[in-house]
Amino acid sequence: MTTDDATGAASRLGDATRPIKGDPIIVMEQVTKRFDDFEALKSIDLVVGTQEVVVVIGPSGSGKSTLIRCINRLEVHDEGRIVVDDTELSDDVRNIAEVRRETGMVFQQFNLFPHLSVLDNITLAPRKVRKVPRAEAEAQAMELLERVRIPEQAEKYPGQLSGGQQQRVAIARALAMRPKVLLFDEPTSALDPEMINEVLDVIKDLAREGRTMIVVTHEMGFAREVADRVVFMAEGQIVEVGPPEHFFTDPQEERTKEFLAQIL
Amino acid sequence: MTTTLRAAPAATIRTWLRRNLFRNRVDGVVTVVSAAVIGTVLFRAARFVLVTGRWEVIEANLRLLMVGRFPTVHLPRVAVSLAVASLVGGFVAGIVHQRQVAAGTSVVAHLSVVARLADLVERFWPALLGAALLLSLTSTAGPWITVGGALAAGLVGRLVGARLPALTHPVVVVAAVVTPFALVAYLADAVGWDSWGGLMLNVYLAIASMILCFPLGVLAALGRRSTLPAVRWISTGYIELFRGAPLFVLLLMANVALGFFVPAGSAPGRVARAIVVFTLFTGAYMAEIVRGGLQSLPRGQAEAGRALGLSPTRVTFHIVLPQALRNVIPAQVGQLISLFKDTTLAGFAMGLFELGNISESITSQGPFRGQQLLPEVVAFVALLFWIGSYTMARESQRLERKLGVGRR
Repeated sequence: MTTDDATGAASRLGDATRPIKGDPIIVMEQVTKRFDDFEALKSIDLVVGTQEVVVVIGPSGSGKSTLIRCINRLEVHDEGRIVVDDTELSDDVRNIAEVRRETGMVFQQFNLFPHLSVLDNITLAPRKVRKVPRAEAEAQAMELLERVRIPEQAEKYPGQLSGGQQQRVAIARALAMRPKVLLFDEPTSALDPEMINEVLDVIKDLAREGRTMIVVTHEMGFAREVADRVVFMAEGQIVEVGPPEHFFTDPQEERTKEFLAQIL
Repeated sequence: MTTTLRAAPAATIRTWLRRNLFRNRVDGVVTVVSAAVIGTVLFRAARFVLVTGRWEVIEANLRLLMVGRFPTVHLPRVAVSLAVASLVGGFVAGIVHQRQVAAGTSVVAHLSVVARLADLVERFWPALLGAALLLSLTSTAGPWITVGGALAAGLVGRLVGARLPALTHPVVVVAAVVTPFALVAYLADAVGWDSWGGLMLNVYLAIASMILCFPLGVLAALGRRSTLPAVRWISTGYIELFRGAPLFVLLLMANVALGFFVPAGSAPGRVARAIVVFTLFTGAYMAEIVRGGLQSLPRGQAEAGRALGLSPTRVTFHIVLPQALRNVIPAQVGQLISLFKDTTLAGFAMGLFELGNISESITSQGPFRGQQLLPEVVAFVALLFWIGSYTMARESQRLERKLGVGRR
């Protein structure tokens, strides 16, 4: 690392490691991730506090998805430290299992299990991992389906639902494990435009409830509305961090200004 | 030449013929030539079946073809075994029906009894045809008792199974798993495997190998994708070794070369060896079919499972395998049909007294020697295999449709 980089990084990262609210629950220190020769993440420092909503934006290929996939170890980081709720991610499978129990993830492609009914999709993990009895798990699943506003779809299979409904089931499935942290990986990018809002509304509800979440998205209106902090990434680095009111109106970095000019 | 007869209700036979068979000169020539060929073949086949065929060779050797040289005194055991298998099969069918009705997924629940019987006949007509043919050829009571007993037991099992309380269902499932082994023990207790023969032996070889090769194939497929190098190498080595050798040669080796490795006297019997070879051979193909199914799944499926905190084993057995296996049902059943037909190789490679071998021997010795009756015997044997294979194919399509309901 050259001195220029180090000083440059320090000035930018001052914000990234300071949550706007809550005690730190996710701590990433100097996290680097490589795919063969390509550095997807370059010494990322980021701290997220409890009940904080962090929205990550940036051009495609900037490492946003890789960043949140490292947090539940769907990707294995090569350097640095990641601590989730006082458990450090290492090769220790018990730690990995612990972190995955405490984090829920919602994917761009929903990734519902097509061979299971909506109810079984939601109850599978609570029953098998948390050993919740079936009746209790199903009652809880029905509550969650009420919250995502599709209780009438419980007996159907994912293939019978619209994209927006599927994504709401996926959110219910993630919530069923009662995770402390929710990770959203571009939850509306695969949806037809008319279905985006029904999903965003559910996520907004969750944000208002005070859930800790990291959301990777291209929906700027949503970011402005729910984010406590907006993180802008480019080329595997965090370029700028700030509360949405500053971030969108008064960005400091040239790269951020360019990006916002392109999309707004 | 598709059947668009009903597509155009106004069309007369004449316009239908023109549109479908004689649209232009080439069409006309093709139609006339194929009609001539098909007509000739059908005529000759019908003449063979109804007039020239000397089916007394089948009648005289029917028992040999069905059960080989199984001693007469022990034949009741075969009838009892079939009836028990049928009864347990009926139980399972009854429970499945009961559960489908409860889940609202049954497609026959709303039909009348007659319509449901018609559905069953439509479903199993090849097997019923085979049974009818068998009974028309026999002159003794044994086959009547056997077939009648099996049908009655199946019916009773189905009716009782549909009314069994849910508490007993696990018992039935256990019974369904244990029964094949118990029946084999019951039969082998009277007559050792190596004295079995006929269709019974072919079916036994096929079913035993099917039951064994399936878990082996799944394990090898998972092993080949394992992150542990040793497991991966062993799985890959096994698969490639057994896919690389002709089945016939493997059977020959099991018959002849096993003596080099195992001291004489302690070697397993020929039927056991044949089952091992069929299992290993088909298992290798099953492994590649299952691996194809595993690879067809999007990565996101396993990732979603892992993200929920499910262990790798749970991800495999609850999420990945059910979908992968369903996706490759046609290929799996195709492989099992091959296995059923390939059991005839055991006759020639190992001297087992199965259908293929019997066909040879009854036309080359005894009263029917030198009368060129092989076509009759071979046609009959081919029909038996066709009944089994076609039934498997149809049932697999049914299963596919059933599992595909409401899913991606």
